[in-house]
Amino acid sequence: MSTARWRPPPGAAYVMPLFLAMLLAFNLPILLMLGRSVSGLEFSLEHYQRLVEAPVYLRVLANTFKIAVISTLACMVLGYPLAYWMRGLRPGWQLVAVSLVVLPFWVSILVRTYAWIVVLGNDGVVNRTLMGLGLIIDPLPFLYAELGVVIGTANILLPFLVLPLFAAMLKIDDRLLDAAASLGAPPRTIFRRVFFPLTIPSFGAGAVLVFILTLGFFVTPAILGGGRVPMIANMLETLINRMPRWELAAAISTVLLVVTLLFFALYRRLSEASEGTLR
Amino acid sequence: MINPAKNPATIIARAALFAGSLVAATSLGTVAHAQLKEIRMMEAGGASGESIEEGYLKPFTEKTGIKVVRESPWSLGKLRGMVETGVITNAIVELDSLAVEQAKALDLLEPLDWQAIDPMPIFDEARQEKAIGYQYYSTLMAWRADAKPVSSWAEFWDVENFPGKRALPNYPTYTLPIALLADGVKPEDLYPLDLDRAFESLEKIKGHVSVWWDAGAQPPQLLKDNEVQYAVAWSGRVAGQEGIGYTFKNALLDLAFFTVPRGASAEQKAAAFKIMHEMTVPQNQAAAAKVISYTGNSPDLEPLLPQDRLNEFPTTQANKEVQILPEPKWWFENADLVEERWQEFKLGL
Repeated sequence: MSTARWRPPPGAAYVMPLFLAMLLAFNLPILLMLGRSVSGLEFSLEHYQRLVEAPVYLRVLANTFKIAVISTLACMVLGYPLAYWMRGLRPGWQLVAVSLVVLPFWVSILVRTYAWIVVLGNDGVVNRTLMGLGLIIDPLPFLYAELGVVIGTANILLPFLVLPLFAAMLKIDDRLLDAAASLGAPPRTIFRRVFFPLTIPSFGAGAVLVFILTLGFFVTPAILGGGRVPMIANMLETLINRMPRWELAAAISTVLLVVTLLFFALYRRLSEASEGTLR
Repeated sequence: MINPAKNPATIIARAALFAGSLVAATSLGTVAHAQLKEIRMMEAGGASGESIEEGYLKPFTEKTGIKVVRESPWSLGKLRGMVETGVITNAIVELDSLAVEQAKALDLLEPLDWQAIDPMPIFDEARQEKAIGYQYYSTLMAWRADAKPVSSWAEFWDVENFPGKRALPNYPTYTLPIALLADGVKPEDLYPLDLDRAFESLEKIKGHVSVWWDAGAQPPQLLKDNEVQYAVAWSGRVAGQEGIGYTFKNALLDLAFFTVPRGASAEQKAAAFKIMHEMTVPQNQAAAAKVISYTGNSPDLEPLLPQDRLNEFPTTQANKEVQILPEPKWWFENADLVEERWQEFKLGL
């Protein structure tokens, strides 16, 4: 056992001011929020009790998880083939593909959300084309329901899954695949027994990341949900800004924080595992 | 009983609050003294904010030399945050009629010094102890010009004879009274609201509502995009717009207010009161009404408005008569209950 005393890492003094600023600006408000969720004249759990008793809040929370799961699945279904396809491109084209994935990052979420209205609205490009071709008579209701929220969310969060997954796929040694082929495995078996298992940890980590981000989504559900897709962030906005119910909002936020931290822990384990397989 | 002061959660919260206000005070304290050149206002934003600039802030700045920086949107949460930390960044804050009641109950507002405001004649409901009503707006029925016009809420609800998709506000304060009127309740019998009946009435139409909107800009856009054929909208957003029909009949008339946050400095208050004075001058209100067709609190405004567009304004005599004023006290007392039932209703959509 080491008896050496703990020493601050070199250069810590330079980081201290920033560290303190972060502590004050980010962690203090969280403490404040935790304090508020159990405050009142005396310590009490009444706001948590309220949360359990009025089932509407838990149902909105459940609805938020449902949307997050669906959006995550959509990102997984779209993202894996995309990343796999990008891996097979020649390096020059890979660069093009990566920039196409990253490009939307530089456009504001609000703009991208409204763009979906232009594309998928009743009078939008897609519906007009389909009607013009005589394939449908009435416009299809893409927007203003869960489908609209999932489309918008998946579009915005897809890069969070694709980029790390693509990076992980690039690191997979081609010789492993060649070795499997030389032993007589057909392409499908190589993918199923060699390639895919190697990508599972980063695939999972990307999925958890998308899931966590969807939990707190605000703008897209507000606009593309047409007011009929209650999500927790929008409800918190109401409780804080329209109703003076900060204590209840703090209790809900605490629940959300705990859940998110649990998922973050899962994410960490998965990404550590992914580092492990690639090393 | 546990002593609140010794309770760990309270101590953490208080320490954090103290540290937070210390940080805020040191960083903003310097601003407080130099503020006479500039104050900040919190308002609703959009065209309404521009109308405030045009109508009231221009003359105010001309007279006092004080610049006003507008911030939007207002929210009860921001006001409460300011007052609770004791850092009053905005000298003057807009609130709707319900939020005024909520803010009064939380003791977030300074009493107004009506002598300092020195108002021109204004409507009675605009003059309160802690708030001045500055702008009337209506929540009314609107439709695409190519749809069959409706003239009552019952017709708005009647999807057989008036086919088309609807857009309703995602705000129970507007939607519930409308649902009752559609169900045959007389305007004078609206309050206290019969919540069960209101939600039953909403159940009847919910299948035809494409969008429950949050932002006032949405309904005119949804109508223009042919996303819906009928919408409940705020009057200033649709009145005078091409391709959109509307009526003030049985619309919900409401009044938006300005207030001063509790803890504002003497200089901030003085400046806020001077702005409030400008809000009572009919000529200023006419200038504001040119930007957006909401109207000010002066009974003498009508002759100053563009006479060919009188029907666009919510407080002309002809329009004010056929509308319904809200009861913010009832809403305040029932806010929690209504909000929970509203969320419940939306989960069932």
